[in-house]
Amino acid sequence: MNKYLERIVDALDIETFVICRDEDEGMDIIRKMMGEMGLKDVDIVFCQHRGPGARIRARGYIFRSGDHYGWLKEAE
Amino acid sequence: MGKKVVLAPLDPVHDIGLKMIRRGLEQAGHQTWLFPPDYSPQEIVNGIIEHKADVVLISRTLGYGVEEILARFVDLVDAAGVREKVKLGVGGMAIRAELAAELGFDAGFGPGTPVEAAVAFVEGREFKPSREGTEKKKIDMVGTYDYSFNNASIKAMLDNITNQIIEWSAKRSSPGVERAQLREEILKQEGLGRDTASLRKEYAKLCDDVIADYYTKGSLHAQTRGLEQAELDSLEQYVERTRARMRPLDIRHTRKKPAVFVQYGTGCPFMDIAHIKIAEGWGADGVVHFDPSWGARTEGFLEGYLTHQQDGSVITPENLRCIRSALEESSLWQVRAHRGLNTPETVVLAGECGADLTKINIVYGALGAGTDPSRLTVDAVAAIKYAARYNLPFDVVTNEELCGVPAHKAFAGMLIVANLALALGAKPILQPLFCYSPEVMINKAMEDNYIDFNAAKLIALRQIVDAPIWPGAPIGFLTQNEDRVQSSVSTGLHAGLAASLGVDAISIASADEAYSGGPIAGASRVDTLQSVRETFRFMGQAKIEPTRQAEDMAGELLAGIETALRETVQVGDFVAALHEGVLGNRDEGAYPGRSGKDTVTGG
Repeated sequence: MNKYLERIVDALDIETFVICRDEDEGMDIIRKMMGEMGLKDVDIVFCQHRGPGARIRARGYIFRSGDHYGWLKEAE
Repeated sequence: MGKKVVLAPLDPVHDIGLKMIRRGLEQAGHQTWLFPPDYSPQEIVNGIIEHKADVVLISRTLGYGVEEILARFVDLVDAAGVREKVKLGVGGMAIRAELAAELGFDAGFGPGTPVEAAVAFVEGREFKPSREGTEKKKIDMVGTYDYSFNNASIKAMLDNITNQIIEWSAKRSSPGVERAQLREEILKQEGLGRDTASLRKEYAKLCDDVIADYYTKGSLHAQTRGLEQAELDSLEQYVERTRARMRPLDIRHTRKKPAVFVQYGTGCPFMDIAHIKIAEGWGADGVVHFDPSWGARTEGFLEGYLTHQQDGSVITPENLRCIRSALEESSLWQVRAHRGLNTPETVVLAGECGADLTKINIVYGALGAGTDPSRLTVDAVAAIKYAARYNLPFDVVTNEELCGVPAHKAFAGMLIVANLALALGAKPILQPLFCYSPEVMINKAMEDNYIDFNAAKLIALRQIVDAPIWPGAPIGFLTQNEDRVQSSVSTGLHAGLAASLGVDAISIASADEAYSGGPIAGASRVDTLQSVRETFRFMGQAKIEPTRQAEDMAGELLAGIETALRETVQVGDFVAALHEGVLGNRDEGAYPGRSGKDTVTGG
């Protein structure tokens, strides 16, 4: 795993606004985008669509409870 | 024909959503059985068989173990041989449509799903959301006010000062005034299809070199770029697509006011439109056009569709028309004209391009924004006359408070311009700041709370005149920090206070208000609109109550306003009073501007 991502305690939230037709398209875009960013365990915490697009809060989990946490190691 | 519906919370405690749905289903004539929380999947399957259910609605709020428990439930329904006979729906905080489909449900309803959607699923029809907000109407901010004065002494002093300003400015003109006349003529002749080359030549003579070069050599300001036709075509299509799916949220809940304004000025009319459409979607009633600061200090306007990567969007007839064409019909549109060397022409363009409002304040522009007092007085009188002619109400902002000018002096200046507007047939809107100003910090007037001093401003103004009030700009200025939660909460609370005090409009910040490292992001627009909407929902018709200190503060403000006006009358010359610091002096952070110095003609 990316050594910087390992310092994140649990999750990385992406807060953004996506131009899209509806909520489904917005969520699809953000999931694919986060996948391309290397975030595999993704959830959409919040998504609301109006007019031009969707206000989205997407979460990429770096560590779930019970994982082996990278931040337990001392930073280099 | 009514359906038999089993509703089961597959959850330890949460079943409120199902209770609401049950009510909706029963009102629609369906037979329902609501199981208690914490039934096992097997108990629910037994219930489905017992009641010969047509539809089963499962709810799940807790996220932990959701996939396992729902998968087990679907397996049990299969094993019991009833899967083909029932429609399975699942909803709740932990549910997403894609998860539901993956697990074998016929439908999944996430957070915020309306009861009607569940009823439509039970009845096997497509759910069509209500078109919330499509009936939204443009708000009239000034219609109910008669501008009567309750304080005869203040009114007499204001009339004295107003008469002096009108008499003084009648003999004077400026390049700004002349350009406004030329712009009006250019637009008129263009409308008639006539050649305007000679008028533009005259116009160029009244401009600074950087602007004149555009008219004489066709060169653009170094910081700007012309937008291409292909970009303009794409924008038009983008706006059409967006408009077709626009269903604005209702921001005010049960209140009729205040109108909620959002300020834009990203530098690019396209990005402005993107932000405007976001703001409209989330319930903004109006938008305010911010021009670049260099534009205010440069003689003359450019033309064409122009963008740049600086704060503030360039005013040109084309840019303004472009933005106007993208607005929803219900949106109020303000084009600011208050502070610079193009004040009268801005009002002409605002009027010609379909704006609803403008913004003019001589005192702020002259003491806080760098324009020479005599120049801005001449220009503002002309601008106010245009505002009257184009029927553009305008706010008189008191931003000089942010420089350090005490509120009572800023208010005296605001009232002078407001009274001048009334004398010239225009409709002023008072704009006291709802802010944590330097004066307040020094005097600790908000040491306990942010309520009393802001409330005092409203109490004092209402004791003087019956006029619309539009606090800004934005509300909560200097209370917000870079954290989006803090910033949004602070904005929401100030909006709640403004609503409590019955104001007509507010300008709100974005959650990026305190961030000065770059442009405001679209998502940050949504944050504060959501915050304001949530505050209005929280409050309904209830109010925030100031302490008794607010009345005392209002009394002090009133006394201070009277003193500042009396001193202005004593000076006998409004422009001289500005220079002498009667309405804000250098110690208080007010500096008579130098931009446009010695450009006034006549007198």
